[in-house]
Amino acid sequence: MVHILNSVLSKFFEIIFLPFQNISPWFGMIFISLLTGLIMLFIFKLTSDQEGIKKTKNKIKAHLLELRLYKDDLRTSFKAQGHILLSNFKYMKYSLKPLLIMIIPVILILIHSNFWFAYDSLGIEETALLKVKLSDDFVPTELDTEITANDSIQIETAPLRINEQNEIDWRFSAQKAGVHEIKIKIGEQLITKSVSVSQNPLSQISPFKKRKNIMDQLLYPLEKPLEKNSFVKSVEITYPSSGFHVLGINFHWIVVFFILSIVFGFSFKGFFGVEI
Amino acid sequence: MLKCNGSVTMKIKSKPNQINRREFLKKSLAAGSLLALSPSQVLTQVPGQKATRNKVIILGFDGVDPHLLKGWMDQGKLPAFQRLRESGDFRTLKTSCPPQSPVAWSNFITGMNPGGHGIYDFIHRDPETYIPIFSASKTSEAAKTISINGYEFPLSKGDVQLLRKGRAWWQILEDYDIPSTVFKIPSNYPPAPTKQRTLSGMGTPDILGTYGICNFYTTQSTEVDPDIGGARVHEVYVIGNQVHAKLPGPDNPFKKEHPETSVDFVVYLDPVNPVVKIKIQNHEFILREGEWSNWKKIHFNMIPTQSVQGICNFYVKQVRPEFKLYISPINIDPADPVLPLSTPKSYSKELEKEFGPFFTKGLPADTSALTNGFLNDGEFLEQDDIVLEERLKMFDYELNRFDSGVLFYYFSSTDQRQHMFWRHIDASSPLYDEKLASHYKDTIFNIYQTADMVLDQTLKKADKDTIVMAISDHGFTPFRRQFHINTWLKENGYHRLINERNQGEDSLFMNTDWGHTKAYALGLNGLYINQKNRESQGIVSPGAEKDNLVYEIAGKLEKFRDPQTGEKVVLKAFVADKVYSGNQTTYSPDIILGFNRGYRISWASPLGRIPKKILEDNQDKWSGDHCMAPQVIPGIFLANRKIKKANPALYDLSPTILKIFRIPIPGEIVGTPVF
Repeated sequence: MVHILNSVLSKFFEIIFLPFQNISPWFGMIFISLLTGLIMLFIFKLTSDQEGIKKTKNKIKAHLLELRLYKDDLRTSFKAQGHILLSNFKYMKYSLKPLLIMIIPVILILIHSNFWFAYDSLGIEETALLKVKLSDDFVPTELDTEITANDSIQIETAPLRINEQNEIDWRFSAQKAGVHEIKIKIGEQLITKSVSVSQNPLSQISPFKKRKNIMDQLLYPLEKPLEKNSFVKSVEITYPSSGFHVLGINFHWIVVFFILSIVFGFSFKGFFGVEI
Repeated sequence: MLKCNGSVTMKIKSKPNQINRREFLKKSLAAGSLLALSPSQVLTQVPGQKATRNKVIILGFDGVDPHLLKGWMDQGKLPAFQRLRESGDFRTLKTSCPPQSPVAWSNFITGMNPGGHGIYDFIHRDPETYIPIFSASKTSEAAKTISINGYEFPLSKGDVQLLRKGRAWWQILEDYDIPSTVFKIPSNYPPAPTKQRTLSGMGTPDILGTYGICNFYTTQSTEVDPDIGGARVHEVYVIGNQVHAKLPGPDNPFKKEHPETSVDFVVYLDPVNPVVKIKIQNHEFILREGEWSNWKKIHFNMIPTQSVQGICNFYVKQVRPEFKLYISPINIDPADPVLPLSTPKSYSKELEKEFGPFFTKGLPADTSALTNGFLNDGEFLEQDDIVLEERLKMFDYELNRFDSGVLFYYFSSTDQRQHMFWRHIDASSPLYDEKLASHYKDTIFNIYQTADMVLDQTLKKADKDTIVMAISDHGFTPFRRQFHINTWLKENGYHRLINERNQGEDSLFMNTDWGHTKAYALGLNGLYINQKNRESQGIVSPGAEKDNLVYEIAGKLEKFRDPQTGEKVVLKAFVADKVYSGNQTTYSPDIILGFNRGYRISWASPLGRIPKKILEDNQDKWSGDHCMAPQVIPGIFLANRKIKKANPALYDLSPTILKIFRIPIPGEIVGTPVF
């Protein structure tokens, strides 16, 4: 079930980001933020009590006015503040349902967008680490290891084994563009990990492959998980992290995404007649 | 220990009442950081873009020697140089007095001699304290600070000041809106104010404010020497196949007593394979034994809102049986320079964006690491190859976009490799090793070939209106014997010690009896009279007494011969009044020592140490040098035009450039055009 959802969603994101892969990631970000803003807007409109929200907001405005008009009357002021507080709780109650519904598609969008915006793919001749984490009772130096890849990937170092952390690392370099596969044999277990090498400014990156469980399958949806009983806990590729530069400051993509989504949502609420 | 040509390192024993190396060097740090952290940064400027029909490309190959060059040209091994000689002209180029790079390039930049630009040596002396000071730049801390709960906050900004006087030729060209790009020229740190594109070269410090201090981590305790120059050696332990260590950073000017900042890092060693993984801040990388990392950006936190960023690279010298890790001096990050590197400020950022991080330290190759054995010949060459590769890429970039005005491009590798590899072409060198020589004897020739390739590329780019010049600031000679000038002064009665038994133990003249000392030497070529009303404890009256003393000492020095070889040690002792003109004489030595071929001032002398011997073999890998008499080591001058002047000098080139663009030559320039 999770696997099907992952396949569908990752294909969906591949299709929607297809026109933006050769241009600045800003375009893809603006598009996905706009889409998210509109989705949030529609969910809010369909799932919230629009009339109730409107009335509550009007009440808040009325009590604010009351506060201003009767600022010299302490009793009325306190009463107005109490009403404002109550109305706020009411407003939050009206918002809760749409927010709870909204959170599901937003999380899915965040999960999938993360693999488009959080990392840069490897460039030609760029190096990265391949890190394999083992279960606690498996000692790296006691296991035979073998790593192979086609000529698009060059394994540059012997394995670096850190017994204390149950970790085995290799350094490799990318030689050709494309999505490649590295095969790792540890003990008797054979595992694979995909590697993205691309010159495109925007591409889908899968840095982790984890052992099978529902949460990790949702969080790392791009590759088939490792077997549930595997002694390999995870396989990671250290892709360079990405970000968005605004006035010389590097912002995490999520910050940019939320700001833009909210801006788009508020910009279109009047157009679609949504009461927020 | 002080090394000529930029690599200042000192061997000074630490004593409570003594100024040690760190104290001497750290002055230039903190205020620099404050300056860079101050909110008022220089805004991006745009250089003049007047299109000129005449264009000039000047290739500055530091230290290229005319004798070597001519020999290889005659053998047909340097075809581009040969072509330029045949189609244009080739002369030796009169160097500066003394022939040290900061002095020589200042002559080139200003068209003046040291009397005009005020740079007499790598280091000058403070006549008040007799302590060495940097000649080219001065860093001062914020004048006022406010202290709050152990923290110090600047109320004014610090300052880095270029001490070279006189206007640079590109500043004059700017007045006429003629664009220039001046890449890594020495003696221009901090870069002289201009809208032209300039990147500072020799003299640019590392992030500590020094000329370059590397860090070396070793499990071999015998290698740990706190007095070693140009390096910090750290004893580390491999525990559970891990090494935990700290990378020292700049002092923290925001905290009282300015404690040193540092960054923790961990090295994971594979139990069997010669590979390690290094984790430092957000970097995690694997290196094989004998492998260099690329540049890593390191942040040193000062206070929560302020940090200083530098770049360094790592070299795993050995994993087992002993663990040895070298970390290069931490260079100023060109993408976010904590100290001024370029004009406009955006220029270093532009280069970083195009090429990634690059060496910004004045003389990038770490000669002291080779001298101290942290890097061997091959490893040093690998490091200098990285430097060269960066330079060549940027040269290609600048040459391709050059279409107007002047392009000056500087290469340091020619100088650095001759300093360090001369012993492999000089069978008389005290460190000559036949086996090593057979392996490295072509190192110097190879770098000349690289220079030839650069020249070839330039000549292909040059159209008929482009004047191409290939120059060097001086030549090279062997450095076999070192002369302890202060010991000679003492033996001849001009310098007296407080305690004879302590001779050779103290530096910075700590054992000098100034009340009975008539002369002292400091720097690489300078000799000073202990003059009344100039030096704080001067005893020699200016006028006839001083003049007589100057000529007496100069005469004796010129007569002095090496008892081992019978050769003159000092070919010519120049009297300052006779060789300098101009009004920047505050730091002028009274006598400039022009050493004979094969001789140079000792490693101990420049910082006021007085060993017992007068002459010794030079046992340092720094085996080629140029701090000799100027006539022994002229530079090169080739151009694709006929050179009319019979004996062109470095200071003639500034007026030559101005004349090419028909700009009036300012009166203070002593040189004259060569075309």
